Amino acid sequence: MSPSTLGDGARTSRAASPNPLLRRILVTLALLGAVVGLEFGFDTLVPDVALQQLVLFALVNVVVALSLNVINGMAGQFSIGHAGFVGIGAYTAAIVAGHIHKALGVDDILFSNSFIVMPAAILAAGGVAAIFGLVVGLPSLRLRGDYLAIVTLGFAEIFRLVIATAQTGGDVEGPIAKFLAYLGGQNGYAGPDRNGVPQYAGPFWIFGAAVVAVIIAWRLKFSGWGRALRALREDEIATASVGVDPTRYKVTSFVIAATGAGVAGAMLASMRNGNPTVQPDQFTFAYSFDAITMVILGGSGSVSGAIVGGVFVTFTVKMIEQLQRFESVQALQAAYPSLDLNALRMVVYASVLIGLMILRPEGIFGEREIIRRKPRQRVSHAPPEPLPARTEAEANPESETGPLTGKAEK
Amino acid sequence: MSALDLQGVTKTFGGLRAVGGVTFKVPERSIFGLIGPNGAGKTTVFNLVTGVYKPDSGSIRFAGEELSVLKPAQIARRGVARTFQNIRLFGQLTVLENVLVACENRRRSGLLSALLRSPSFFRDEAEMQRRALELLAIFDLDKLADETSTSLSYGNQRRLEIARAMMLEPKILLLDEPAAGMNYGEAEGLKKQIRWLRDRFDLTVILVEHNMQVVMGVCEEIHVLDHGETIAHGTPEEIRKNPKVLAAYLGEETPDEAASAAAAEEEAAT
Repeated sequence: MSPSTLGDGARTSRAASPNPLLRRILVTLALLGAVVGLEFGFDTLVPDVALQQLVLFALVNVVVALSLNVINGMAGQFSIGHAGFVGIGAYTAAIVAGHIHKALGVDDILFSNSFIVMPAAILAAGGVAAIFGLVVGLPSLRLRGDYLAIVTLGFAEIFRLVIATAQTGGDVEGPIAKFLAYLGGQNGYAGPDRNGVPQYAGPFWIFGAAVVAVIIAWRLKFSGWGRALRALREDEIATASVGVDPTRYKVTSFVIAATGAGVAGAMLASMRNGNPTVQPDQFTFAYSFDAITMVILGGSGSVSGAIVGGVFVTFTVKMIEQLQRFESVQALQAAYPSLDLNALRMVVYASVLIGLMILRPEGIFGEREIIRRKPRQRVSHAPPEPLPARTEAEANPESETGPLTGKAEK
Repeated sequence: MSALDLQGVTKTFGGLRAVGGVTFKVPERSIFGLIGPNGAGKTTVFNLVTGVYKPDSGSIRFAGEELSVLKPAQIARRGVARTFQNIRLFGQLTVLENVLVACENRRRSGLLSALLRSPSFFRDEAEMQRRALELLAIFDLDKLADETSTSLSYGNQRRLEIARAMMLEPKILLLDEPAAGMNYGEAEGLKKQIRWLRDRFDLTVILVEHNMQVVMGVCEEIHVLDHGETIAHGTPEEIRKNPKVLAAYLGEETPDEAASAAAAEEEAAT
């Protein structure tokens, strides 16, 4: 009897087809080709530098949303300090990339050198963020709902404020204070020689990171692990009652989310044409809030939703900024000098969100995905009605002594 | 040899003594009833056995091992499965997924092989699904495998909860009010199903139930609690005639009334 399949089953059956390895190699090559093609063709494809920057930033945000989706969407834990992990990744990557770039001794940002710098920066950023994820996650995931939210927010704010308020000038003593001073305080970190973080992350790395993040998020969701995580979100006590340890799964998902955020931070720090300094102000609560918006707007627990949400929020925020260039808006400000355009931006943004939440409270995708995999027809394994029928009249005495399938056979 | 052995188990919530020094042994492969009026502490006993609560004192031993020091998930993995009084399914998950979560702890391939989609991942997944579908077929839920569990009817949800518990391949199955909301005919069916499950899977069933038709009809031994204390223990016949039990359920009364109430209950049970 062929193994029956569902959910991931469509993939199972295809991968079990004669040449799964060949198919995988082809898909990998196609994706690699596309990403390499983008590295060299991006300037022709998107000539406008501002738009280029926006697209790359949107992709970084997709990685942020995908990673936050693991903990907020799939595991159902409400973390509102994701910017903290992005920030840790950004600082770590900036330091690593800056020093390797210096050691390489080549001033130009060469594509070939990015294969030395970026893997190191990504590994370091992901690793350090993961460690922080574990340290924050271990104690705080025993908390529920609002309490967890407060701890994550507290962590992100502590991280940001420690860096932002560090003493940078004058005599600084002690290794920790010296390190914090090195990070540049409110002005930010701009590489070991203070001439900017080397911007090695071109379209190849950022598109590549986004593609890999999507694949990982997808495979996590459609695995036993993702299933247990979603069960946990639905009912923690019931999940424990079937042998799944909630704390272990929550902490693992928190560490994975933090790692993803760290990698996104690495991209943000070394993004081509991006900000060459990593500043604490990039990682305020507003950024955590944007990340939550991306996940909820797209649909909690949906990989497709996180992608769409990441792109949508990035472009919406930008579009509202562009509105400020309109003459009517500028005339408004001329008439009312006390009008804060930045605050106005938040009002418009909030209105858009409220509207969307009223129209689609479950987000754009809910928990669903763009690709709807149809469950295959399954072969029934057991004889009909082995469990005694519900009423006496329907009971069939033979079924109780009939051939047994299932566990007894094994 | 007893499947489960409770010795002087006590649990208080604030000033309330929910379970006070309860001691009983559940014989292996028996169908054991735990009854008592509302608030007697029956569900608390279940929560203590499954590790949701930790007892203040006393011991709970299963196959020679102390359960009260273990976490709920560890107890479940040892082979103690349960259902809940107010059905607790994974609402947004499909029927099949609900059952699959219960074999997550037995998955051999790790997170890395899930990320790499290694052959062992596919093997595991196919094997788990095969077993889950077999089990669903036993509970006549295989046709509904791809429905979300919230869309099921009440009776099907109850059966899915039992199917999910059975996926753990338990040695003890704790059923918390499985007959709640069932009519006479359904309750009769449930009695058969409980016996059938015990015989088919070789397990011990512990039942918390208010429906006397089910309790008296299926249990081989019954333990009665009232206000967290044991008031009786014995066979259904003994329990039915026990004046303390009748008093707990019906209030104090004259022996005449007690006899007629017992007769009425007997009638309902047959």
